[in-house]
Amino acid sequence: MELPLLERARSGDDAFPLVVAVDAGDGLMASLCGVGAGIALPAPPKEGEQYRFHFDMTKCIGCKCCVVACNEQNGNPAAIQWRRVGEIEGGVYPHAVRHYLSMGCNHCMEPTCLTGCPVDAYTKDGVTGIVRHSADACIGCQYCTWNCSYGVPQYNPERGVVGKCDMCYGRLAQGQLPACVNACPEGAFLIETVNTAEWRREYEVKANSPGMPPADDSLSTTRITLSPRLTPDVRKVDMNRLRPEHPHWPLVVMTVLTQLSVGAFAAIWLLELVSARAHRAAAIVALAVAMLALGASTLHLGRPIHAVRALKMWRRSWLSREVLLFTLFALAAQGYALALWLGLHGSRLLGGLTVLFGLCGVGASARLYVVPGRPAWRSPFTILEFVLTVALLGSAGANVLYGAPGPARAAMAAAAVSVFVCGAAKMIWLARSPMHERRGTFMLLMSDLSNLLALRAALLVAGLLLLVMASAGGSAVAVAMVALFAGGEFVGRYLFFVSVVPANMATEYLSAEAA
Amino acid sequence: MKTLDWLKRKSGLDIAAEEYRYGEDPVLGYTASRKHADGWVNSTCGYCSVGCGMQLGVRDGRVVSVRGNPDHPVNQGKLCPKGLAEHYAIEAENRARYPLLRKQGELVRVRWDEAISALVERLRAVQTKYGGESVGVISTGQLVTEEFYALGKLVQLGLGTRNYDGNTTLCMSTAVAGYKRSFGSDGPPGAYADLEQADVILLIGANVAENHPILCMRLEANHKKTLIVADPRVTKTAMMADVYLPVKPRSDLALVNAMIRVVMKEGLCDMAFVERHTTGFDELRASVEPYTLEHAATITGLAPELIRKTALLYGKARSAFIGWTMGVNHSTKGTETVNAINNLALITGNIGRAGAAPFSITGQCNAMGTRETGFSSSLPGYRKFECEEDRRELAGIWNVPVERIPAERGLAYPDIIEAAVAGRIRALWIIGTNPLVSFPNVDVLKQALGNLEFLVVQDGFHPTPTTELAHLVLPAAIWGEKEGTYTNSERRVSKVNAAVAPQGEARSDFEIFMAVAEKLGCGEELYPSWHGPADAFDEWRRVSAGRLCDYSGMSYTALEENGGIQWPFPEGADRHPAEPARLYGDGRFATEDGRAKLHATAWAPFPEQPNKEFPLILNTGRTVEHWHTRTKTGGIPILQRMSPRAWLEMNPQDAQGLGLSPHDRVEVVSARGRVSGVELRITEIVAPGQVFLPFHFAETNANQITQSAFDPISREPNYKQCAVRVERTPHAQRRNQ
Repeated sequence: MELPLLERARSGDDAFPLVVAVDAGDGLMASLCGVGAGIALPAPPKEGEQYRFHFDMTKCIGCKCCVVACNEQNGNPAAIQWRRVGEIEGGVYPHAVRHYLSMGCNHCMEPTCLTGCPVDAYTKDGVTGIVRHSADACIGCQYCTWNCSYGVPQYNPERGVVGKCDMCYGRLAQGQLPACVNACPEGAFLIETVNTAEWRREYEVKANSPGMPPADDSLSTTRITLSPRLTPDVRKVDMNRLRPEHPHWPLVVMTVLTQLSVGAFAAIWLLELVSARAHRAAAIVALAVAMLALGASTLHLGRPIHAVRALKMWRRSWLSREVLLFTLFALAAQGYALALWLGLHGSRLLGGLTVLFGLCGVGASARLYVVPGRPAWRSPFTILEFVLTVALLGSAGANVLYGAPGPARAAMAAAAVSVFVCGAAKMIWLARSPMHERRGTFMLLMSDLSNLLALRAALLVAGLLLLVMASAGGSAVAVAMVALFAGGEFVGRYLFFVSVVPANMATEYLSAEAA
Repeated sequence: MKTLDWLKRKSGLDIAAEEYRYGEDPVLGYTASRKHADGWVNSTCGYCSVGCGMQLGVRDGRVVSVRGNPDHPVNQGKLCPKGLAEHYAIEAENRARYPLLRKQGELVRVRWDEAISALVERLRAVQTKYGGESVGVISTGQLVTEEFYALGKLVQLGLGTRNYDGNTTLCMSTAVAGYKRSFGSDGPPGAYADLEQADVILLIGANVAENHPILCMRLEANHKKTLIVADPRVTKTAMMADVYLPVKPRSDLALVNAMIRVVMKEGLCDMAFVERHTTGFDELRASVEPYTLEHAATITGLAPELIRKTALLYGKARSAFIGWTMGVNHSTKGTETVNAINNLALITGNIGRAGAAPFSITGQCNAMGTRETGFSSSLPGYRKFECEEDRRELAGIWNVPVERIPAERGLAYPDIIEAAVAGRIRALWIIGTNPLVSFPNVDVLKQALGNLEFLVVQDGFHPTPTTELAHLVLPAAIWGEKEGTYTNSERRVSKVNAAVAPQGEARSDFEIFMAVAEKLGCGEELYPSWHGPADAFDEWRRVSAGRLCDYSGMSYTALEENGGIQWPFPEGADRHPAEPARLYGDGRFATEDGRAKLHATAWAPFPEQPNKEFPLILNTGRTVEHWHTRTKTGGIPILQRMSPRAWLEMNPQDAQGLGLSPHDRVEVVSARGRVSGVELRITEIVAPGQVFLPFHFAETNANQITQSAFDPISREPNYKQCAVRVERTPHAQRRNQ
């Protein structure tokens, strides 16, 4: 039934009139939240154009009619707001300046939600340029919620899928104004058409605003009319509101365990190469860990039953690539373990493939966290951390298998020290960052999360001490070191997820979550 | 089956697609299907007094959506966020659904007849023991006019007590008193259209962007205006201003007097108007003499030149509008300030013309209705208790002996409470209000209620802090469940309709009053052959005929057809019902000599000045998401989500001095009590030395610290200023919690 807008327009389907004449008196044009008296829809975009929002800061009085109207239009629960109103403030009394930003989706020209999506649930509409999301296609991985620096896509736990503002596509198609535009008593919004080539030249001046993340991340198309009263110190009012993010437990488990498994297979394979010993039992354990990790990852999805769809967009999405590479890793690992058990020829080749896919998987896994919406993740530190986890846990595993002091211990020591140095360097980098989100991560780690940070460091140091002191040691000591280092990595990964301060538009001063 | 559904949901097979389906609706357009209605009922919003026209979408006996009525002249289809979510109030969890009577200390569900009997018997018992006037009634601005009219008769003629007042004394009595003193009658003289037509709009202590956002449409539509906003806090409205006057708290009276002085000195008075239509000009001139620019600058904190510029802007405007709300009213000098505002309008002839009015922007949806019909601060139809002719006229209409009409008003709200503390009031009937959150210095109120032998609370919501103390709770129908009329700020009478049946066993206040009258044995006398609100409206039309608030030309049908009609609208009126109406266009005022009275006024500092122990000035106010004490909005998820709790605004200078950080939890302490655990907002929108706390939240009730100081004329509390100190909440140094 749902024809793409372009086809409908071209086929002359009267559901989408090519020239939209808005008659405010027409019953059809009336909306849930009033009529847009005097506000007209522009004609559908021509070649090289798209629709966009225009938001006039000088007219917005922060009444939040648009927020309620949007929720009513879309039948969303109160916890989900596809349109939000944020506050920015600056100046000195009585010359204080306060303004509001009302934002839905910015229908970006380079939408990061879309490029990251592993299942192709997002489309950029060919005629209108509206970034649309299909709830049917979505598997609820929530990757888009990290990719968007405006916090636009929001996960609906009731449905298990994400949703977002589609500029009331369905209304536009009927010649009706979006609910927010209709509801605004001040006429602070308009729908406009924009020439995309022109916008590439203009957006830096016209899409940016205090309280908004830089428009460069995804080339936001929302035109913002700034207030002439803005002073240079105007900024978000919710700047100091720091709270730990969701831990994403399945992902904590999944990332650490895949890295443990990849490290273990690397150890097994290297030992096989070096000492020609087949660590069959170890391979089974490492395989079990890998399967557990991959199983755990599906629990993160809102729609685990459709997990396999995540393979779809491997050409574009790092999440798809991660899933693909870890699937190949798991398949190779099964073959490798089987080969070791049966003593088959070619086990070394299979081992090599396992390690190759595993390491590439870890790389993709790390790379996918380098996203605009999570500034503290958006750095080479993330890649380094993930790789070092492989090195640390892999060398600790090798030490269990190898038994005697030797290269495994040396590697373990080097990895542990590297983890420590990397962690310390990251803290310094966060603390000195000009981005308030990154400094926020540092502040969270030093305040609310400081006990866990200390625990993470203590586990690492304890492992190192054990390594130095128990110079001979039996397998019990070796296993204890694996436990200490793995424990440290779990705590570290938990902190990775909870300490990140999302990029976002300015929001309200009080947060409902902390109520 | 449940397990299967859960599994389907958890596995991701089911994404609740049906509930989140969209579809085309003939009225709403393309929307979420769950919002689609089978039928639409026109009504008027039940929150504030802007009086927006609404349509309630009903499906299967439930209101599933609301929309602004696109044809209504007040709001042209727009609604504020409260209005857009108003339908959620009907089925809110905290609705009162059954009559509850306290037995052995517990509120237990009883039948209506037992509840009504208990009410009548217990009130009568108290009256027998302590006298007729030992019973007090405190009502509201939330009922329909028909109910106010019925209630007034019931209390004064049926129960036989004059000690009857409304919570309107907590917000509008100052404007009422000021209007009566200046013009001889209550009644805001302008129309909303004036906001679109004025050259200069001066808003004093009125944060319309927060509290009356739909009026901002009018400001936005007026491109030629100069908007001047006087407010100690840089409110959302202040941000809209062309000229912002950051006055010191409660210095407005000095500002207005200084403006009058400038206007007089500069010869900007409309002397023709003054001479023909006012008295007291010379006394006024003498009284403003001390308010030189320098003196006013000291009081207001404004630069002398800014005061002069403001006065010249106002004085030279062809049409100038002054709007005010609680910044003026919530003050021991409120009535005088209203008079000063009226003085300024009168001497410049800015009244009764398009764009020109001294305009009190009312609070509650039907505060105006109770003022017109209420029988509390005046007799119905703005008649005066002390006027024998008025009493005779009423007695004649009602066919009762004139002696039954009181010749003097009873106690005002704060005085009823004081009388309860003193043991002179022994029983209270509280209707549609929540004084445990809204009354100043709440400890005094608690003492008063604790003294009572019988407390009845009639409300749409339970539990509220007030119903929890009641001996009897009567569940009332609310907006969307009953019929009648509301009058808005511009005197527009609009129709209110029932879309659905009341929740549970709740009844409309009208039915409750009828039942009480029946039980009292005066049903037929008070309400002769009445069956519903339409009968009350008919009688009220006759009572109002010939008065300033003349309804006699109106009918329910005409109100529906025109999106409300502004009074006066006498029978045979030559004005088209849709035409904007203004009072005093002919220069004839409701005083005995037909002239408006110019009153000399004198500024004085607010009663409780900051001191060493309490160095900060507390200001109180509202936020757009909530209504009054949140009995109605606190149960609406989207509003609660957008504004989950109270906050305290403090200037960075003060916060630095106290070593406080953003989001700290703090205590606000006055000589009377403390508010605990408020989230701190450090901001330049309040001046150093001042703090601001919203009053909506029972959990952090601002009225635990406000004071018992009342305007001597209007009896309105001085909510807006008192001395406090702020300290960190112990053991709560963690942010964000």
